[in-house]
Amino acid sequence: MKYARTVAALLLSTLVLACVFRDQLTPVGYDHQDRNIPNAFRSRQHLLGTDALGRDRLARVLEGTRVSLVLAPSAAAISTVLAILIAGTAALAGGWVERLTASGIDLFLSLPWLFLLVTVRALLPLNVSPMTSAVITFSVLGCLGWAGAARLLSAQLSWLRSRDFILLARASGCGGFRLLRRHLLPNLMPLVYAQFWISIPTFILAEANLGILGLGVSEPLPSWGSLLRELDSFSVFGWNLWQLVPLALLIAVVSCFHLLISKGEIAA
Amino acid sequence: MTPLLALNLSASYGGKSPVLSGLSLEIGRGEILGLVGESGCGKSTLALAILRLLPVKNAYVEGSIEFNGRDLMLLSEGEMRRVRGKEIGLVLQSPMSALNPALRVGAQLEEAWRVHQRGTKDARKRDLVSALANARLPHAEEFFRRYPAQLSVGQAQRVLIAMAMLHHPALLICDEPTSSLDLVTQSDIVELFRELKTKLATSILFISHDLLSVANLCQRIAVMKDGAIVECRSTKDLFFDPQHPYTQQLLRALPAVPRFAAKAAAANS
Repeated sequence: MKYARTVAALLLSTLVLACVFRDQLTPVGYDHQDRNIPNAFRSRQHLLGTDALGRDRLARVLEGTRVSLVLAPSAAAISTVLAILIAGTAALAGGWVERLTASGIDLFLSLPWLFLLVTVRALLPLNVSPMTSAVITFSVLGCLGWAGAARLLSAQLSWLRSRDFILLARASGCGGFRLLRRHLLPNLMPLVYAQFWISIPTFILAEANLGILGLGVSEPLPSWGSLLRELDSFSVFGWNLWQLVPLALLIAVVSCFHLLISKGEIAA
Repeated sequence: MTPLLALNLSASYGGKSPVLSGLSLEIGRGEILGLVGESGCGKSTLALAILRLLPVKNAYVEGSIEFNGRDLMLLSEGEMRRVRGKEIGLVLQSPMSALNPALRVGAQLEEAWRVHQRGTKDARKRDLVSALANARLPHAEEFFRRYPAQLSVGQAQRVLIAMAMLHHPALLICDEPTSSLDLVTQSDIVELFRELKTKLATSILFISHDLLSVANLCQRIAVMKDGAIVECRSTKDLFFDPQHPYTQQLLRALPAVPRFAAKAAAANS
């Protein structure tokens, strides 16, 4: 297991480095179209070949990875903070507020996640600049992805709240958000970290799902979703295996995250 | 002289039969009052009721808590927060679960200080060091950096006492402060309370089911049964002339009343 985790960490860091130095690795930008060579096989100039519009696939994969790897953790941060605030407020208020929040969380969890995402994303403007669309997509993911984490944190908080040290903190005049920040949160952190790391691969996959439906990051900015959409024209005849690289990368990155998280969970 | 605390309380959990039924009690300034009674008779409920912390446990309280010339029952939650910790301190039974396991000793003390005080780092440090010294604890930097799991039970209880005494409250409520400690540590802690009372003139409500510690420390003892005080007299009177059948039963249950307790009572009066 330790060996596997080292490999996972190495893979992820290589990928991060490749994304940072993508300009040095690829001859042209991700949006440069060379109409003379659409759907080219791999060559010395285009290491992974080109797509239907003649754009360098390696450049697009690296740019898409960069978008996913920067924005997915941001979305995870948004959803984790929301989960803390919602579960924390409910736990502090107690009584009917807590019961109402618990029902709200259950309701949210019972909604089909993908349909909810599609509905909300479709309601927001699609006719915006590519980078804005990427930010909107991941913000939606962050704002809709808090329920599972909030449910777990609520359970932990209600257990913590009944502990003696919280009673004593109240008895020394502590209350409200001070109680949450200084006494509850430090005991909640292991769970918060685990929730944060778990939601990153979930959001990467969710964005890929939205991208396939055309509701994710808009062209020409690539994302893993739009790179995968390329595969709908994938044919076994005259196949170009290099089209599968984004898929392989997605599976590799999500697996790497899961491997690293499993260590974190054991430690927590 | 008006007593520091005079209360008359009834309390019940979630509409069930009352835990405290018309309980009335008075504590004088600079007095140590012992409160004894069997487990489950409502001693801890009383401790929380005085601090108005029972609503947290879904309990309903009515009556009056006259403290320092005002009725605590009439204060808002915000005003009550300024009373908790600053004017009334609390020490709980099991020190290990009463300290926040995720915070270092120094951080817990600092937090308790910050709730009621503003000031420079030096002022804070000075107060913390004097609180630890009062509780006869080391105040080295190394001690501040320890986690509760790295303390002995006795040390942890002293940290709790130091925390409760940080703002020199007029009243200290101790809910079974010695019952989870071994005998030697127990007598050390009882000695510490006596010292604090003389040094800082704090009134102490000493809740315990350990009649001997109580006799050793308190000038007056209140005996509680089924949510009410059945007898409240000076330690000497209570030991030599118990009136209520429950008090008599309690004293009969002590193996060595004639020698130990009577001696302690005589020495205390």
